[in-house]
Amino acid sequence: MKQWLERGRGLIMGSAHGEALVSLRAFTFAHGVDPSTGVVTDVRSDVKGMNVKGKILFYPFGKGSTTASSWFLETVRLGNNPAAVVTESVDLSAVIGSVMARVVYGKEVPVMSGVPLTAYSGLKSGDEVFLDAAKGEVRREE
Amino acid sequence: MHLDSAQEKALRGGLGEAKQFAMEIVSKVGDAVGADELVPIKSAHVLAHYSSLHDAGVEVLERFADSGGRFAVPTSVDPASIDLQNWESFGIPEDYARQQLRLCDAYTRMGGMRCWTCVQYQVCNFPKEGDVVAWAESSAVVFANSVLGSKSNKMTAGMDVACAVLGLTPKFGMLLDENRLANVAFRLNLKGLTDLDYRSIGFFVGRNAGARVPSLAGLPSSVTSDQIKHLGAGAAAAGPVTMIHFPGITPGSKTTAEASGGERVEEIEITRSSLSDIESDLNQTSEFPDLVAFGVPHLSVNELGELAKQLDGRKLKKGVRMYAYTSSPAYDMAERTGISTIIERTGARISHSTDAEISPLKALGFNTVLTNSAKLAEIVSSEGEIKVGYAQQKEIIERVTS
Repeated sequence: MKQWLERGRGLIMGSAHGEALVSLRAFTFAHGVDPSTGVVTDVRSDVKGMNVKGKILFYPFGKGSTTASSWFLETVRLGNNPAAVVTESVDLSAVIGSVMARVVYGKEVPVMSGVPLTAYSGLKSGDEVFLDAAKGEVRREE
Repeated sequence: MHLDSAQEKALRGGLGEAKQFAMEIVSKVGDAVGADELVPIKSAHVLAHYSSLHDAGVEVLERFADSGGRFAVPTSVDPASIDLQNWESFGIPEDYARQQLRLCDAYTRMGGMRCWTCVQYQVCNFPKEGDVVAWAESSAVVFANSVLGSKSNKMTAGMDVACAVLGLTPKFGMLLDENRLANVAFRLNLKGLTDLDYRSIGFFVGRNAGARVPSLAGLPSSVTSDQIKHLGAGAAAAGPVTMIHFPGITPGSKTTAEASGGERVEEIEITRSSLSDIESDLNQTSEFPDLVAFGVPHLSVNELGELAKQLDGRKLKKGVRMYAYTSSPAYDMAERTGISTIIERTGARISHSTDAEISPLKALGFNTVLTNSAKLAEIVSSEGEIKVGYAQQKEIIERVTS
């Protein structure tokens, strides 16, 4: 397998290790992820039916309702949250959801942005990925 | 992010527990997004509906209220998940209502305006050009930035209340002039736009702009603020859009060139076939509905009047309910002017202080929803439990009344 390593900007620091879940479309937790299971329900998502729980979740940008951070927080409360989130442009919902996770439940969900959508094509859902937000680095385990 | 001495004091707990909690959230978000400082806001708009806040959100809002949190600036609130006056007659389960009423109670204790609407800019919260605000509600943020010329980022749940308690928000994103320039230009070459067209145009812009700031030229000069409201809601439902420059309408953007600061940007034409594609994506069933929903976002009293005209003399067919969702003030006005009587004698109902996309539709037994709202169609199909049809208001009325 070819080395896959991308740099971006760490927004919420921390490191994470897990399977990648890669969406190439606008993504939202609001009405789009069932917090009680972590399963993506959004019919317009290319990862519908997949589970975000414990994953390093990649998507280019967010969409829709400003309630997304509370849907995110509910997945955290129920233990069904992703291990980290990586986007191309900043998704404020993920940032705020992660801050709330830290402040309310003491849980770390690192968030990175600035990883270009074109980079996602070198990666597929299920690949094992390591993320270090402080270094601004996300790479596939070889 | 730099904090001044009063803000430092808040973070250390010197201004009380609620402000400390708020400052922890706001400073962490500010650091994450690379803001240099906090700036004062003129108003806030927050979320307090159970369907989206869930139990985690009840915990957060009660923590604010119980620890003495009070809103530092005029603050309005999105609709609740239940009709606050008539929830029992709409069949809302009591345990569901109880969680919603806890949110209402916490919000009220914090001193918020009780207008329960997603169109606060038509009802109770009126910033002027240049005002910095911290608003939740994606459709309202688009309206604030694009029509009012106010400046707001999309303040999502938790951060909205934290900003409102402090009267401050981090300076980043749409608060910075350089981020407000258009970098993609949409052009509309269509005449005779229907109610559905406005929503579909918005959805098309939202989907194709991606993370860019769009301008949109070619709307007729007769366009109303209600039509722009629905267009903006469609855009925000489809993508991350927080502002659309409408040349001649948006303050500071008299032309498409001015919207982009004179830079040449990609141009995208909106044709009839662009809108047909959106319609066929959003219209997922032609089955006879068990619920027709109008008013995501909330209808104005003018729109209720228009609906009454279209419904006058008709009767709703068996097996279908029709709800028109609005704000409480518009509801009262419709009651006083006889609009409600006309709508209700067809068998339809007006529901206020709540809205369809945040109601427990599945629990209320609805399986097929028909609407002219792109936002509702997107959200309902996202949850994957209810089938949704998307059509013009006139056509819907033809189908479900006689």
